[in-house]
Amino acid sequence: MNMIQALNSAMDIMLGRDPAVVLMGEDIGYFGGVFRATDGLQRKYGEHRVLDTPIAEGGIVASAIGMSVNGLRPVAEIQFADYIYPGFDQICSELARIRYRSAGEFFAPVTIRTPCGGGIRGGQTHSQSPEGIFTHVSGIKVVMPSNPYDAKGLLITAIEDDDPVIFFEPKRLYNGPFDGDPNKPAVPWSTHPKGQVDEGYYKVALGKAEIVRSGSQVTIITYGTMVFVAAAAAAAMNIDAEIIDLRSLVPLDVDTIATSVKKTGRCVIAHEATRFSGFGAEILSIVQEECFWDLEAPIQRVTGWDTPYPHAFEWEYFPGQARVTRALKSVLEPA
Amino acid sequence: MSQYIFKMPDLGEGTVDAEIVAWHAKPGDQVTEDQIIVEVMTDKAAVEVPAPVSGRVVSVTGAPGEKVAVGSPLIVFELTNGANAADAPAAAPPRPSAPEPSTPQPATLQPAGSQPAAAVTRQGRVMTSPANRRRAHEAGVDLTTVAGSGPGGRIVRSDVEAAIAPSAGLKIAADIGALPLTTEIKVIGLRRLIAERMSEAKRNIPHFAYVEEVDVTELESLRLYLNGSAPKGAGSLSYLPLVVMALIQVLKSYPQCNVLYDAARGVLVRHRAVHVGIATQTPDGLKVPVVRNAQALGLWEIAAEIRRLAERARTNKATREELVGSTITVTSLGKLGGIASTPIINAPEVAIIGLNKAVERPVVHQGGVVVRRIMNLSSSFDHRFVDGYDAAAMIQALKEFLEHPATIFIPTVKSS
Repeated sequence: MNMIQALNSAMDIMLGRDPAVVLMGEDIGYFGGVFRATDGLQRKYGEHRVLDTPIAEGGIVASAIGMSVNGLRPVAEIQFADYIYPGFDQICSELARIRYRSAGEFFAPVTIRTPCGGGIRGGQTHSQSPEGIFTHVSGIKVVMPSNPYDAKGLLITAIEDDDPVIFFEPKRLYNGPFDGDPNKPAVPWSTHPKGQVDEGYYKVALGKAEIVRSGSQVTIITYGTMVFVAAAAAAAMNIDAEIIDLRSLVPLDVDTIATSVKKTGRCVIAHEATRFSGFGAEILSIVQEECFWDLEAPIQRVTGWDTPYPHAFEWEYFPGQARVTRALKSVLEPA
Repeated sequence: MSQYIFKMPDLGEGTVDAEIVAWHAKPGDQVTEDQIIVEVMTDKAAVEVPAPVSGRVVSVTGAPGEKVAVGSPLIVFELTNGANAADAPAAAPPRPSAPEPSTPQPATLQPAGSQPAAAVTRQGRVMTSPANRRRAHEAGVDLTTVAGSGPGGRIVRSDVEAAIAPSAGLKIAADIGALPLTTEIKVIGLRRLIAERMSEAKRNIPHFAYVEEVDVTELESLRLYLNGSAPKGAGSLSYLPLVVMALIQVLKSYPQCNVLYDAARGVLVRHRAVHVGIATQTPDGLKVPVVRNAQALGLWEIAAEIRRLAERARTNKATREELVGSTITVTSLGKLGGIASTPIINAPEVAIIGLNKAVERPVVHQGGVVVRRIMNLSSSFDHRFVDGYDAAAMIQALKEFLEHPATIFIPTVKSS
């Protein structure tokens, strides 16, 4: 399966297993979603389970909250993460705090799916990576898979979770892994082991990172698209890097991070999102707190530039292999 | 004519002052750069301080036995040609400005034009990674005395490792002698230091003494066998390295005994590495040279290191680094070991293990009276931080290893 099919399978299974699960979003029903993630599900489960909504993200999130406190388990799609901001007040002020504000009497099992990230010539309105904004809000979980297998297992876990989860889908990875080089022919998921996805129900836990490759020289902490970019850069340099795919940013698997950096003594953090106050800064702080006395070199971040995601010069903006290589060289200097 | 004020240099880790042992120059003397002008005593070693410049000594501070604070004026020179330290006259024979290491070292030991001093001293903050700081701290190496070979003079891992290696110490001179031969002996230098440290330890630490007898019959037979089959030149084994090996095993389960007490901060600092102090009698008095990272050494290496350090301590060749930084101490009087003793803890450590004399004794063994070789262990613990129960259990664990010596060399199985 590719990642779209894996997500579709997760929602199909959950609609079948739990009558409280409903899908909602712009063009997700009759049309099947702009990326086809909900293709066929309205036909299969009906208009009352798979709802087309107006183009009003604030309203989508608000009605999902209302439905969730009244016993449903909505999975809302925001068509692009770039369009999530009209729902931001609902997410921060209502969704994240229902459980707290009602002293545990109400809770909001809402999952918000939204495609994120660049690499698709989408310009500033279809390429953003706003995950760090949501990790800063207490009360919501933030997930970003990097492959079809994890995407399905994590989405099922997110839907079953009784608290709100924002589920970011790196859209450049929908159809295949991407190593950061746009000139290479596209590779389908069918050639990748993580494209082998179980047809049935299974879960991947939130808060558990995956060591994609174990190594001894340096730890690369990353998630989403950058997992493959970082792996390709390390392989091209022929270094023994340990690559950690966080999968879930909140909750964060601090143990796996700290154990790895204590072992290698060197750390590079990579994400597509902008650098300043980005999620990389949080990881960097945690590594510093947990691993200070084991650090052989200053921690490096590889990120997007602190500008809007551009329409032109996309590959100068995107943190490709060259920038990962530069950071790796810098942390591997003798120290 | 200009004057040059030479201040008491920082001679090593945490030194706040140094005691004058002997002056080799007096006011009015003409000295050349690098000539030894004064011998001072830091906390355990004598250091010869060379003149930083050539010139005439105008005045000196501190009589033998007096302490001079680091950073306060020590000697005032009058420079013959008004030159400053950096372009002192070339009268002195050319020589490297850095200490002469016995192993090859990176070329960039000291920036050109810096003052020669007893140690490579660094201005400002040490540049190195946190991991290197920890390595240096654990090994008791003062990073301000380590030259950096990395970019911008940064201290890199290999520099720290070279400094940890026993042979790459400072050029610290040996002889604290030249004391007047009179019947009246001034308590200065090493003796004063021993006296101060002993009374401080005895005054501040509530000692808990514990004596246990150990049947070393099997240990003795292992020792004799190893000595009989040792390669030529390996030297013969005493009980000491065997006890050190066993102690390292025991400390894995009793980390509270491998501790330094930082009284100023109210913190007990547990050490992963075991740096074993070996109480050593020398002509000048008690010294405690340190087998560094003993946990990483094998039996013969420990034995060789103890022999090497004892010899250097006895002949006054031990560097400051070889005499500080132990985390636990072992003391043995060998044939003078007696049946029990009450060793004084080598503060800021919290435990000291004493070996008494091993003798053959009639003992009841498996229902009959047999001759067995028995050695007592007399140990002291800092009762503030090590409870009597734990101290006793630790010595019992040590006894188990020594009575079944094969287990010393079998990797421990983590239980519970």
